[in-house]
Formats: sequence, structure tokens, C-alpha cells
Amino acid sequence: MRHWTEGFDDGDADEQLVRPYTITSGRTTPERSDLTLVTLVTTLPEVSTQAALAVRRMQPEHRTILGLCREPRAVVEVAAKLRLPVSLTKILIGDLVDSGYMWARSPQPLTRAGGLPDMTILEAVRDGLRKL
Amino acid sequence: MDYASSEHASGHSPDHVSGRAADHTAGRAGTAPLAVKILVAGGFGVGKTTMVGAVSEVAPLHTEEYLTRAGVGVDDLEGVDSKFTTTVALDFGRITISDDLVVYLFGTPGQERFWFMWNDLVSGAMGAVVLVDTRRLEVSFASIDFFESRGIPFVVGVNCFHGVRDRTAEEIRAALALDPQVPLVLCDARDRGDGRDVLLALVDHLMAGQSATTG
Repeated sequence: MRHWTEGFDDGDADEQLVRPYTITSGRTTPERSDLTLVTLVTTLPEVSTQAALAVRRMQPEHRTILGLCREPRAVVEVAAKLRLPVSLTKILIGDLVDSGYMWARSPQPLTRAGGLPDMTILEAVRDGLRKL
Repeated sequence: MDYASSEHASGHSPDHVSGRAADHTAGRAGTAPLAVKILVAGGFGVGKTTMVGAVSEVAPLHTEEYLTRAGVGVDDLEGVDSKFTTTVALDFGRITISDDLVVYLFGTPGQERFWFMWNDLVSGAMGAVVLVDTRRLEVSFASIDFFESRGIPFVVGVNCFHGVRDRTAEEIRAALALDPQVPLVLCDARDRGDGRDVLLALVDHLMAGQSATTG
């Protein structure tokens, strides 16, 4: 005889009770195109009064992000910690950048004119890897 | 040599070291490191996450993304709208080179047809490692084709984690129809030193490519 729980998806336990897009008020597409997987985002140490008021209207996830990013973190790391898809995380981070809570450092293009990687960066990566 | 000294030794101070030129908000805060991205690709089950974990300073992190794609060439979805969303997952790790430089290693999702369309994953990558399993070379063909067609430099890591080296490097190279310029390194994806050597082979390959053109 089959037990009633047979066939239940074990993955259900991990699913969030709140559907992800609720957190972003229904937005599904990041408005900022400058946030990539490896854009580093940092919480600013001081914010304006206006920004401090703005965060009160935000989601708990926004505050979690501010706490996570006291040290610079890549967008993809924030997504992993929040257990949210990258695109949703970008929307939330975008809110915080727009309201003056965070700043974002775009990864620099690794290539110079001619499509070749910059030698200075390559040397630094090589020297760092050798120490592993 | 640390990153700062190599910067000075090179005799020029590229604007991307400080990042200010391209960053609209940088003036308001301190500095953040430069992030570089390396992809670890190959077919399903070749050891991508294993290699990422072996060299990463943190346990591999897991994340997901929703991708919207055209439903071309997808089975079993007749009648579904031509654009739909799929979830792809990946694992990634990190190597902090210095205060100024962090390497992110992305183990690409196993199903190539999904991440090939993930521009944010692919664009701006410094280079890639394609892992192959000698018993199933064919599962990594698509990754090799992809990086060749996109012009993204890559090296091939032959994962010998079963201790089976039943084929020589030359035989594998021939079977993969690999460009003679592309380095091929035998490795054990579980081994930190081996993973480091594969990454070093990639960096050497990139440097050789640059000096061949400039020098």
C-alpha cells in the first residue's frame, strides 16, 4: 500500500512560502542594466535622511542585503545568500542603489582595444594563483 | 608580487585599477576590488563543481536564474507559448587574489542549451576551462564549440579522477579536434594543486595570446 506522502516532491520543503515576485512588487525585470553577476556592491556607511526614510518602505530582503554588503560582494553572492534568483536580487539591489544606500562597481572590461585581456590583470591573477 | 606592485612595475596605471572612470557612483565611497570571471564548463558530470570547490576559498555557493528564451528545438512542449521561462542553476566559488582583485569561478549549468543564452554569465569572462571525461568526451563537445564560436579563450582540462589514463593527451586532442594552440592539461578535478595548474595554464594561454599580437 502506498503511504500518502509517497510521490511528494522532497524539494517542496525548500520552497519559499512567499512567491518570489511578491518581494519585488511584481517586477520581473531589473531596471538597471549595469548590474551583472560579478558587479560588486557595497553598503554605504552613511546615508541621507531621505534614504533612511525610504528603507522603511522596503522589504526585509532589502535590509538583509544591506547587512550582507558591509563588505563588497558580488551580485551573484548576494543572490546565493538570499536564496533568490539572480534577476530578482538585481531588482532589490537596484532599489538600494537608486535610493542611495549602496554603490555598485561594475566589473571592468577585461579587454582593451583589440579584444585582448589586460596584461597587468593577467599577471596579478597568475601571481595570486601561484600562491594557492 | 602583490597586485599593487605589479601595477607600478608595469609602468602604467590603467583606470580600471581604481574603477572610477567607468563607475558612476564610485566617487561617493571607498574602493571595491576588481572582479574577474572564469567559467568552468563541460558536459554533465565531468567534475565542474568539484573543480570549483577544489580551488575556491569558500565552499561552492549555489544560485539560480530565470531565463526567458525562445522555445525553439525544445521537446515535449508543443502548444506552449513560444517564449517561456526556465530556471538554470549554477555553482560558483571565489579566489581572493588581493584586496584589489577577486576571481569568481562559475561552474556552468550542465545543460548547455540553457546557459548558452545566458549573456550575463558569458559576457566579460576572462576565459574558460572546458573539463572533459576521457570516457565521455562527447559530452564536452558543445562547450568547446561554444567558446570557439564566441572567441572566448579556453583550455581543456582532462579530468582523470578515476585514475584511468587510458588515452594519451595526443589521442584526446585528436578526438576533440582541438586547435593546436589550445592547451590541454591532465588533472584530477578534486585536487587543489591540479585545479590551480589548469587555471594557470589558462592565464599563460591568455598572456601568450596577448604577447603574440603585441610583440
